[in-house]
Amino acid sequence: MTKIGLEIHCQLTNLESKLFCSCKANYREFEINENICPICMGLPGSLPRLNQEAVKKATMIAMALNCTTPDKIAFFRKNYFYPDLPKNFQITQLNIYGDTSIGGTGSIMIGEKKIKIRRIQLEEDPGRLIYEGSSSKNLITLVDYNRAGTPLVEIVTEPDFENPKQVRTFVNIICDLLENLGVSDPGLDGAMRADANVSIEGGNKVEIKNIESFHDLEKAIHFEITRQESLHSRDFQIIQETRHWDEKRKITVSARSKEEDLDYRYFLEGDIPWIIIDSHIKDKLKSKMPESISSKKERYISKFNIPTQVATVLSSDKFYSDLFEKSHSESNAKEIANIITTDLMGLVDTREKREKSKITSTHLKDLADSIQSGKISRTSAKNALYEIVKTGKDLSQIILELDLGNVSDESELLKIIQEVISEEIQAVEHAKSNPQTINYLVGKVMQKTKGKAEPKLTLDLLKKQLG
Amino acid sequence: MNLKISALEFVQEVKNGNISAEDFVAKTLERIQSVDDKLHAFLSVNEEAVDKAQKIDKKVKSGDKVGACFGMPISIKDNMCIKDSKTTCASKMLENFVAPYDATVITKLKEQDAVFIGKVNLDEFAMGLTTEFSAFGPSKNPWNLDYVPGGSSGGSAVSVSAFECIASLGSDTGGSVRNPASFCSIVGYKPTYGLISRYGLISYSNSIEQIGPLTRTVKDAAFMLNIISGLDVNDNTTRDNKNEDYLSEIDSGIVGKKIGIIQEMVGDGIDPAVLSATKDAIVKLEGLGAICEEVSIDMVKYSVAAYYTITATEAGSNLARYDNLRYGYDFSVEGYEFNSYISKARKNFGPEVIRRMIIGGFVPSAGQAGKYFLKAMKVKSKLTKEVDEVFKKYDLLIAPTVPILPFKIGEKIDDPVSLFLIDINTVTANLTGKPAISLPFVISNGLPIGIQLLADSMQDKLLLQAAYALEQTVTLPEVPI
Amino acid sequence: MVTEEEIEHVAKLMRIDVDDHKEFVDKVHAMIDYFDVLDSAGVESEEISMHEIPISNLREDKFIPFNEKLIDKLNNYKGTYIRAPKMST
Repeated sequence: MTKIGLEIHCQLTNLESKLFCSCKANYREFEINENICPICMGLPGSLPRLNQEAVKKATMIAMALNCTTPDKIAFFRKNYFYPDLPKNFQITQLNIYGDTSIGGTGSIMIGEKKIKIRRIQLEEDPGRLIYEGSSSKNLITLVDYNRAGTPLVEIVTEPDFENPKQVRTFVNIICDLLENLGVSDPGLDGAMRADANVSIEGGNKVEIKNIESFHDLEKAIHFEITRQESLHSRDFQIIQETRHWDEKRKITVSARSKEEDLDYRYFLEGDIPWIIIDSHIKDKLKSKMPESISSKKERYISKFNIPTQVATVLSSDKFYSDLFEKSHSESNAKEIANIITTDLMGLVDTREKREKSKITSTHLKDLADSIQSGKISRTSAKNALYEIVKTGKDLSQIILELDLGNVSDESELLKIIQEVISEEIQAVEHAKSNPQTINYLVGKVMQKTKGKAEPKLTLDLLKKQLG
Repeated sequence: MNLKISALEFVQEVKNGNISAEDFVAKTLERIQSVDDKLHAFLSVNEEAVDKAQKIDKKVKSGDKVGACFGMPISIKDNMCIKDSKTTCASKMLENFVAPYDATVITKLKEQDAVFIGKVNLDEFAMGLTTEFSAFGPSKNPWNLDYVPGGSSGGSAVSVSAFECIASLGSDTGGSVRNPASFCSIVGYKPTYGLISRYGLISYSNSIEQIGPLTRTVKDAAFMLNIISGLDVNDNTTRDNKNEDYLSEIDSGIVGKKIGIIQEMVGDGIDPAVLSATKDAIVKLEGLGAICEEVSIDMVKYSVAAYYTITATEAGSNLARYDNLRYGYDFSVEGYEFNSYISKARKNFGPEVIRRMIIGGFVPSAGQAGKYFLKAMKVKSKLTKEVDEVFKKYDLLIAPTVPILPFKIGEKIDDPVSLFLIDINTVTANLTGKPAISLPFVISNGLPIGIQLLADSMQDKLLLQAAYALEQTVTLPEVPI
Repeated sequence: MVTEEEIEHVAKLMRIDVDDHKEFVDKVHAMIDYFDVLDSAGVESEEISMHEIPISNLREDKFIPFNEKLIDKLNNYKGTYIRAPKMST
């Protein structure tokens, strides 16, 4: 059986400052090496100053992943030399002296499959290495430390995954969960990264490091399984080793420096005392946590009778569920959920479009109300939605400008209905003997009004005309 | 101009207008000029010291608010950062490092109008107890130039002892303030761990070291502590001392105080002169109304091994950052592979630092941690428990600061293990986080002997009161330089 | 007993080229051998602990840029990047 385990690294991009200093947590807006200070550069004499909010947010993540949370946390040093590490050690967490990492064991269900979480740790991100041109020709390596010290939460799972698809489902859940908690924006470049360990039946465990995006994670695992199976089928041994994901070539390559040669010499970080997180603080954090995705989903189903499929999609997306929460009332909830999941999500399907989109909760409320009151048809609503997203104009103005309002004037409708009756002699006869076929005639009226005939009135009038 | 005055006397004289800070600082610089060739306490001298003192004099004259130091010349061990000035740690590795920020203690002293007269010598990265491991050559003991001044804050002790400044800041990882204070016959203070911010102190073994003042008198140490102690947002390990005034009630005396004499620190290997000085001190303390009894702290036997295991481990990690990439000396990276480059660059460390870093790579390594590092950490825990237990019965503890007399330069440099054992009386305070003071007590055949007192955590005030009481019973000759 | 090979291996891990081999190994040897005294301390059952502080003592999450352009004071390349040697992998 194939076994896959993950180490997921999530930046807490929504924090203001880095983990141990007051430089900006979201380093993306800065020029090279402009988001640095003596602390994150590890200058002689500098000391880490732990960010209170990072501890709180990481605790919330642990809670959201159903992990145990210890009463006190400790930090450790992981010692190794690398140019992206200003101190040549990373401040991270471990459970050497009891459970002192920010999150203990927990689990997440993906469908029927339970994925166990071994540990969650809070740690600092290293800087970034830049290689100009081909690496073989490089005389030197360039380093940008803007990212160094960014708060990172590492989620370590047990090797419970059986295939890349489960991995994808899991990371999607994690992304949605982090976004819902408001701690991170998983869409930001480099905000979510992963290491994976993969072993097939009868083979050794292989670690894949440096997978810089979730998009590549599935590919890397898939590649690695195929590679291992191919070796296995030809009776080659699968060596226990560390491999790197080569982003450009989309393959895994053996890491030259053997992991076994490394000795991280973990020991307690003396510059940070143990931090007490008592039940009082935990309760307070729990009460401040936003409603979980699953509880949202349950509420949508039970309270508003929204179909499970729609509720699932809506609840797992923070952007849209926030819009929904702000716009809905008891009576229009189902309609709004429909508009969002069937029309809006298709229209605004990328990060860029979301940022540009002009839609507000008021728009959604107006749209749903107008549909329910028969002021506009669903087809017109879809057209109006397109305009709203693009321009942000009021619905009433758009209806006027694009003439999207329903034809609800009785005499006007009657004229059209009579036209249809005169043209569709056969269908009229059918409808008279079999009232169920009357919908065909309604459709014809809709055609003539470009979908704007008020449906209920049309039906009533048609019935009357047919006697 | 009399340079041989205490910090409190200096403040009084400047306040009263009897002397000017400018004159005093200028004379002090002249003194450094004339004696430091022999002593080698200073690694760099602050050329702007006189200007700074002049500005403070102006404030005094115009009646403006003046900080508590009134332009007092202070020397700083060269492992603390002063903005825009060189901070070398007495290492070739940092020969050209200019600190871009002030250590918290420096900020506090600047606010109180201290004048930094210069940066003083130490064993490279504070690893040693003689200053012989300074990359820029040893300092000499003013009591006898052939002898070591102690260390690692040797430059601090020499500069205070030889009147090249009024007070100095050193750092104490295993005795590095108290040992040279004892060898040079001045007061050396190691506060409770966390009492003084370490922000800007270049780490050697961060979990146990503290900055501490070296002064002529106990009152001066209390005065300095008043300025530099207290909670600091830049150091998560600092403790709130509620702005304690260590000078007030310093003359409270020690009537009825119970003092334990640590048996493990007056036993094997102690110099007879040191033992007799310790006995004298005990008699004097009893004469002051204290009750002295022998106590045993079993873990002291293992303290030096635990100390070197823990400090080497932390040093190996703390000094890993010196890879010469972001700062350091001139050595181009071009043409080198990463690992071979930094291995070459790091050859600029001196031999003792290299030895300790390698030990620091060995004792916590995956295969060895159980035998060495974890055991050392456990000795530290147990030692702390034992000392805590003793402090339930006793207010203070006493032992000689160093079990032997100052020795000659070069005498022990090739025998690292015999150097280890000199630390036996000082490392306990560091491993347990307790405050300790070395008080100059007697000169034996021209060589100083210091007496050490320890108190429980955050009992720094009591400790200073006891040291002050004992100090009043002591008269010492003037340093022969 | 620590072997010479072990000491050499650690020197490599700590990224230090060692000259003066014999003298160096002997001294390190003597220092490490001294630590054997720890074996007789009888501390196996001791627990390791550290000073503890409440979470409220920690820094608030605020962005405060460093007051100077730090990169100008460091060894840099092309005005912006820090330069490192080429990497072997």
